[in-house]
Parts: sequence; structure tokens; C-alpha cells
Amino acid sequence: MAFSVVMPALEMAQESGKLIAWRKKEGDRVAKGEPLLEIETDKAVVELEAPADGLLVGIKAAAGADVPVGQTIAWIVVPGETPPLESAPSTATAPRASHPEAKPAPTPAHDASGPALPSRVKISPKARRLAKELKVDIAAVRGSGPEGEILASDIEASAAVDRPASKVRNLELPGSVGRVMAERTTQSWTTVPHFFVSREIDAAALQDYRNRIAAAMEPSDAGAALTKMVRITHTDLLVALVAHVLLRHPRLNASWSAEGIRIHDHVNMGIAIAVNDGVVAAVIPNAHSATLAQIASRRVELTERAFAGKLRPADISDATFTISNLGMYHVDQFSALIAPPQAAVLAVGAIADRVVAINGWPAVRPRMTLTLSCDHRVADGARAALFLNDLAEAVRQPGKSLG
Amino acid sequence: MPERELTFAQAVREALAEEMRHDPRVCIFGEDVAEAGTPFKVLSGLVEEFGPERLIDTPISEAGFTGIAVGAAMTGLRPVVDIMFGDFVTLAMDQMVNQAAKIHYMSGGHWRVPMVLRTTLGATRRSAAQHSQSLHAWFSHIPGLKVVLPSTPYDAKGLLKAAIRDENPVVFFEDKMMYKLKGPVPAEDYAIPLGVAEVKRSGDDITLVATSSMVQVALGAANLLEKQSISAEVIDPRTTWPLDEAAILASAKKTSRVIVLDEGYGRYGVASEIAAVIAEGAFYDLDAPVKRMGAMQVPIPFSPPLEDATVPTEETVCAAARAMCKHQL
Repeated sequence: MAFSVVMPALEMAQESGKLIAWRKKEGDRVAKGEPLLEIETDKAVVELEAPADGLLVGIKAAAGADVPVGQTIAWIVVPGETPPLESAPSTATAPRASHPEAKPAPTPAHDASGPALPSRVKISPKARRLAKELKVDIAAVRGSGPEGEILASDIEASAAVDRPASKVRNLELPGSVGRVMAERTTQSWTTVPHFFVSREIDAAALQDYRNRIAAAMEPSDAGAALTKMVRITHTDLLVALVAHVLLRHPRLNASWSAEGIRIHDHVNMGIAIAVNDGVVAAVIPNAHSATLAQIASRRVELTERAFAGKLRPADISDATFTISNLGMYHVDQFSALIAPPQAAVLAVGAIADRVVAINGWPAVRPRMTLTLSCDHRVADGARAALFLNDLAEAVRQPGKSLG
Repeated sequence: MPERELTFAQAVREALAEEMRHDPRVCIFGEDVAEAGTPFKVLSGLVEEFGPERLIDTPISEAGFTGIAVGAAMTGLRPVVDIMFGDFVTLAMDQMVNQAAKIHYMSGGHWRVPMVLRTTLGATRRSAAQHSQSLHAWFSHIPGLKVVLPSTPYDAKGLLKAAIRDENPVVFFEDKMMYKLKGPVPAEDYAIPLGVAEVKRSGDDITLVATSSMVQVALGAANLLEKQSISAEVIDPRTTWPLDEAAILASAKKTSRVIVLDEGYGRYGVASEIAAVIAEGAFYDLDAPVKRMGAMQVPIPFSPPLEDATVPTEETVCAAARAMCKHQL
């Protein structure tokens, strides 16, 4: 005798259940009580057990299908037996979860004269091909054709629903720069013991110094007109000043290694440059001995190559210290992640007018906040503070270091 | 200068006259072709220009004069045979099927039969069952014959000139109901290659493949459909052999729905063949079964209302197309 497998009513007001997955395939031998399929209701996912021993045949609903309660979705037969006609009254015992008030299975008109095995969905060849290509389960699609057949447009509509735009459209695959950035920052943050020291300093002298240089480099000068004009930025000045100060603070121009702390006798200054895909740190080698003009032209070169995505390996290797300046974005203060094996990175905020007390009186001064991130294996807070102290002094009197 | 317009009959006559002027081997055999210019007046005036030596009035003897044309073609002329009603081709079948179509092959290429058999098709002229049939499928079935079905005056001139210049026997069907149809026809010499379909109207939702006067029906139906927001493409194969399968398949793949319109009998007909080509070549792009529309499977009635009911019309094609595109409305 054939046993029907019907969609059970698991809740009082349930009208249909969603078939999540079959645990058995068409033609599989099943034992009574074995898990047969998974069904999702509004509240839970439940397993349905086989109502009898036999072969599972005549599966009429595929995974993903929404099936009305009480509808036969498969049969369990003894080998050699064929499942009964769809319109024949069900003599089978209902599975354990069957609800006495369950509605009788609605019988689709086109099935009335044919056997239930296998289920035949009316679908156009194009729709069937599209369903395969777009991975749409045709059992879950309602046909809109002249006689209820599934058409290509039904598959396309279903595919559009199955793949909400948000899922696909908001997934961004990082490029090579983005991927490297993700790896390095993770490595840095998870392996380097960071600590941060901040100091707000007076930037008036720095501004004055830059304005003086800019005036001196006016194109009226015949010699300057011949050479390529490069504008000196605050970053350039800071690169030069920090490089000079670092020579007196070797622990901040150093690297942690398994053997010990490696002290560098030269300053290769990394400058963080924001590009489309993330951030890169391009290197100005020997910044401690470079002139401002050399620093500036090297920076311009690096920036151009970074934006063009044409940085060379030498442009980004062997930095001993890094400066990250977000002043142009009007950031007041931030802390940066160290790029190992460097021991520190200086985060530079915007120069902005602040009210400060001078000799007991309020005054408005251009100020900037510097935040040093340090690898605590290499430098401690006191060393960091002393470095910032000297740096503040150098910024207060740029001419002293830069001439 | 406004575009010159000719009737379909004038376009056929101009093609013949130009080819006769250009090539002295071209001559015409048939019943009432000379003095009478045929009952449809297609050949009026030709005998005055070319004389009774080149337009030969024959007795009522289709098998005889078609056979003469086969022999004349084999021995150097380029005859154009006129079979007044397409229904009478039954009498000339042996000459066309067993002789004209086979001679080049059976002589190992020594003999050629560069002849044209011009005849008519089409119902609704109140000509009754023996004068209203469209029997072009018979010839389309035979290897060795080319079959041409012009649908406009322009195509009639260009295709007939190509048929006369062809080295093979060509059967040329003119719908007698289109003889008065007017359309632009350039005065200059042009030939339309045999085997090249034309998209007569571009559309997106459904393709109407149509032959001969059914192209005009399809274009009318497409206009009706447009008012109901269904965009129909009309494609005219122009020759049933050679058949431009690529063009038909491209259109079928584009729209996913096809109705094939041909005025021959549907059973084992031209529409069936084209439908089969589409089923084989565009199956996975079809969103509905290919539908054939043609002459009803009955002797064509003399009674006008009954006769009209046997052939597709703009309205019946429009209704069929609507049913196929129903879900879009």
C-alpha cells in the first residue's frame, strides 16, 4: 500500500509550509521514522519523518517550494508499486504532525487525468533554460502564461526576487591595495602592542615659515622658473622636522625583531597617501639629510605614481617611521596604526585657530594636535613624550632645524 | 522627386521587359500571354515591344509548353513560362519535378535548365476550389528547384530579375490578389539575391514570419497589435528555397514567440517547415509553441463568406498573437 507524504499543519493558523530540503532522493529506500524532509513554518524549522518503510517516489515539490497544508508532496511505496493517481482519495495514514482540520489537497486541473509521477510543470523551453542558468527552482514559480505555464518573464522575476539587489550590489571586492591594507593592518593591530601619546602644539611658526618659503619661491625668480616649481606643504616641513628630531630619539626610529631592537642610523620617512582603493605609505629615503625641495619633489613624484597606481617596490619599502596627515580633511586628532617593523607613526591633525592661555591671558593661536602611536616593545611612554617635546620645540622654531 | 510607385503587376512586367531588352534569349511561353497579356493583364504591352516570336501563345497544354521550356532552356534560351492559375501546375509537375529539377544533376553538370515558371497563388478572388489554391509547397519540397514568393512590388521586380538570371529552374509565385498593390519601385536595374530574408517591420514581443501576400496581412496585424502595446516583428523569407534560416532564427531568438503565416495548406506545408526550422534552431529561446496559420484544410469554397473564413486575416492573426502574448497585457 502506498503512503502519501503530505505537508503537515504544524501550527494552528498555518496555511502552507516551505519545503527547506529533502533528506532523501527520489527512489531512495526509507525506513519508517527516518527523517525525510525539512519544513519551515513561520516559527521554526522541523524535520518530517517517513510515515512508512518503502521507496520514496513521486516527489512533487522541490526545496524552496511553498506548499499548501494537506497537499501530497510524495509517496512511499513498496518496490514495484506505482503511486496512486493524484485524484484518488488518500488511503494513507497521515504523518504524525498532520492536523485534523487540514484542508484537502487542491488538485491542479492539468493533473486530473494523469498520474502524479513525475510532476509535470508547464514551462516554456526558454523559461526552463533560464531557470537552469539563473538557478531558479521552477517548483516555486507561479506561471503567468495563457494556460498557467511558466514563461521566461516569470523566471526572470523570480530570479530578481531571490537575489535581492542589496546582497549583490553592496558587496565590494577590494583591489590589490585594499587587500594588502586589510592584511597589514590586521597584522599590525593583532601583533604590535600599540599605545598612543598626544600633544597639542603651536603651529604659528610653522605657518610663517611655510609662507616665507612660498614667497621666496615666487616665479619672478628667473632661476626658479627654469626648474620645476614645487609647492612646499606642511607635510614636507613636518617630514624634515621629524626626521631631524628622530636622529636624537633613536628608539622611535627603530624596529622590533626576535633578536632585539634594531636601531636605524638613517630616517626613511613614510608618508601615508590615500588612494582610491585604500592607503599606501610611500617613502622619502634619507629624509634627515634631504633638503626641503628634495623632500617636496620626491613627495610630488610619489603622490603622482600612487594615484596612477604605478608605485614601484622601492617607493614603498624600508620606511623607518611614518607620518599620516589628515589635516586637509579637517580632522583635529586621530591615532594611526603602526606599519611593522617600524616602531612608531605620527598622526597629524589640522592646523586650526584655538583659544589658549598665554601668560594668563586668553589668546587665539593656530594649533595642531600630534598623536604618536608607539610599539611598546620598542619605546615607552616617557620616550614618546620626550620625542613629542623636542618635536614641539622644533615646530616652534623651524628655522633652527631647517635653516 | 517623389518616389516612383508601381503596382505589383507593373513591377513584374517591368522586370520582364528589362530582362528581355537586356538578354535576347529571354522569351515567354503560355496561354494568352501575347495578345491578351494574360487575364490579369500582367503582360500587357510586351508583345508590342518584343513581338510574337518572343511571347508565344500556346494551346491549353501546361505539360506541353512547360516541357518545351525545359528543352529550350537546355539548348540556350532563358524561357519564362506563364501558368495562369497556380492550380494548373499539377499538369506540369512531371516536367518540373522529374525533368527541370533533375537534369543538371543527372547529366553530371553538362546540361543546365535556366528557366522560370511564373504562376499565381492566393484565395479570396471568388474563383472556387480549382483556381484559388497556393501550391508552392509542392515545389519547395523538391531538390533542384528554387521557389520565390514576392510580397511587394519592389521585391517582385528585384526577385524576378534574379530568377531569370539564375542558372537553375526557379518557380515564381505571384499572389493574384496583390497585382493591384502599389509600392515604390525604382526605375533602375536591380536584382534581389535569392535566399535572403527581409525584416519588413522590427519588433520585440512576437515574430510573424510571413510569405507572399501574408506579409501584407502580417503588417496589418502588427499595426493592430501595436495599438495594444504588443510589438510585432514581421520577417519575410522571400524564397522558401533557398531558405534564410539564419534570419528567421535570429528573429525567433529575439522575440521568443513566433507565428508562421503562409497561404498554403497548413498540413505538411511551408509554415510547417519553417516552424520545424525554428523548433530545431531556437528551441531553448522559445517562450511559447510556434503557431502555424494558413489555408484551412478544405477545398477552398466559392461562397464568399466561407472562402474568407479559410485564410488568415489581420484580425485572426492579431487575435492569435494576443493570445500568445497574453501574460504581457
